[in-house]
Amino acid sequence: MSEFDAIVVGGGPAGSSSAIKRASSGLNVLLVERSDPPGSKNVSGGILWGKDLSAIVPDWEKNAPLERYITAKGTGFLTTDSMISIDFRSKKLEASKTGYSVLRAKLDQFLANKAKSSGATLVTGVTVDKLAFDGDRVIGVQQDGDTITSDVVILAEGANPRVAIDSGVRKPIDDQDIAIGIKQVIRLPESTINERFNLRGNQGFAGEYVLGFLQGTVKAGAFMYTNKDTISLGIVVNMSGLRENNSTYSFNIMEQFASHPFIQPYIEGGKVEEYSAHLVCEGGINSVPKLSGNGYMIAGDSAGLTFSNGLVIQGMNYAISSGIAAAETAIAAKAKNNYSSDFLSSYDTNLSANYVLKDMNTFRGIENVTWSNLMHKAVPGIAENVLFRMFNETGQPKEHLSSILMDSIRESKYSKSDLIIEAYRALRRL
Amino acid sequence: MEIEEKLALLNYKTDKSYEHITVNPNICETCPDHFCTFACPAKCYTLIEGKLNFKYEDCVECGTCIVACSHGSVSWSNPKGGHGVKYKFG
Repeated sequence: MSEFDAIVVGGGPAGSSSAIKRASSGLNVLLVERSDPPGSKNVSGGILWGKDLSAIVPDWEKNAPLERYITAKGTGFLTTDSMISIDFRSKKLEASKTGYSVLRAKLDQFLANKAKSSGATLVTGVTVDKLAFDGDRVIGVQQDGDTITSDVVILAEGANPRVAIDSGVRKPIDDQDIAIGIKQVIRLPESTINERFNLRGNQGFAGEYVLGFLQGTVKAGAFMYTNKDTISLGIVVNMSGLRENNSTYSFNIMEQFASHPFIQPYIEGGKVEEYSAHLVCEGGINSVPKLSGNGYMIAGDSAGLTFSNGLVIQGMNYAISSGIAAAETAIAAKAKNNYSSDFLSSYDTNLSANYVLKDMNTFRGIENVTWSNLMHKAVPGIAENVLFRMFNETGQPKEHLSSILMDSIRESKYSKSDLIIEAYRALRRL
Repeated sequence: MEIEEKLALLNYKTDKSYEHITVNPNICETCPDHFCTFACPAKCYTLIEGKLNFKYEDCVECGTCIVACSHGSVSWSNPKGGHGVKYKFG
């Protein structure tokens, strides 16, 4: 007889969502979080997209600690001298309210407390060391020499899943699976943020950029999100590019982004309140491990469940959705008293049926586009050159756009045929 | 703004009796790249007179170094319960 129906390792969006769903169904759930309070080791590098929380916290849009709803979405390229971006602002985004900026220390604490009020036992400040096994069957977790038993364990540890790796249920992470996320939170008056970003009330801006000015093989993306009275400014650095270069400090890229001539004015006069870093899952479907086994399931970032095509970046909603799917499987397993790997594989089937694995399968290989030389090294410079020549009036006779483009490609160090092939590949995957 | 000033903004509950990350100095001594010094966002890895110096106290527990070190020098565990970095915003 196990002490708990289920143990959830990790009180982030995946773990807490899973615990809320299970505890609400009457299961005896233990939610273990190593930070105290929950969320105090977590970092959001994105927007909370979608309405997945509605299934478990119906009043979340009213009561969860959300910062701003996104009505303006920016995406583009930064070069040393220029910003080239699309700035999409729409009353339609405002009406649908499908994206919120969030700060995780607050949000995760809210969700963990929801799990508690739903009936889960919440333990914080406790680090799980490993899974506990009986043969090849997971029977609980080990913590400081003790074993706590449960019928099923859900691993929702985030992007650096030590328990899963040290217990041998997923392979160690490598360069292709992750990127280095670095962020700073900058405080400014709410009215200043609204003026600078052209927002009213609780409207929010979310911008994501390719940093096209980095030296050598270094590649990074960057983000700028408005919170209520802070701005989240961050970068996501590709590990293999940084390794190959081996002369750029990751933390200096953060400073380069913050001091870019067209980013710095947004944060000018603001006070940096916090610096943080966190791994970001970037491996796409190819880095998703076996999602379940005998007595366990893996959810959220621990399972590499994130999505990024450079235009859309999602993770927290995948975490919530996968946490709920794991809970549904655990509830069904309890009803049948069957925790075998065969039965728990219905979790994989559930995820394949909802948008999480569908998206990841549809965009198989997208990471090769988002981190391509085309996107990071060729397009930013060519785009800058074309736009500068179009908009810069020199008093000379004007040229057709096509000839400016051809000139600009010629001046870049990329061959026209390489660019066409790479662009075709990229378009197919986007 | 210097990285040291940024790190000084953070709150930690440092575990003085347990280092959650350890490095093997024998491996680091012959390391050809010291990529950890470039990758770690908290500048925990530095070269002092050519020798690798590691301090766990500034670690923000991101996990970058265990991936960055391709020579098997870094051992990474989560800090014991409640210890380590404490973000206010996240």
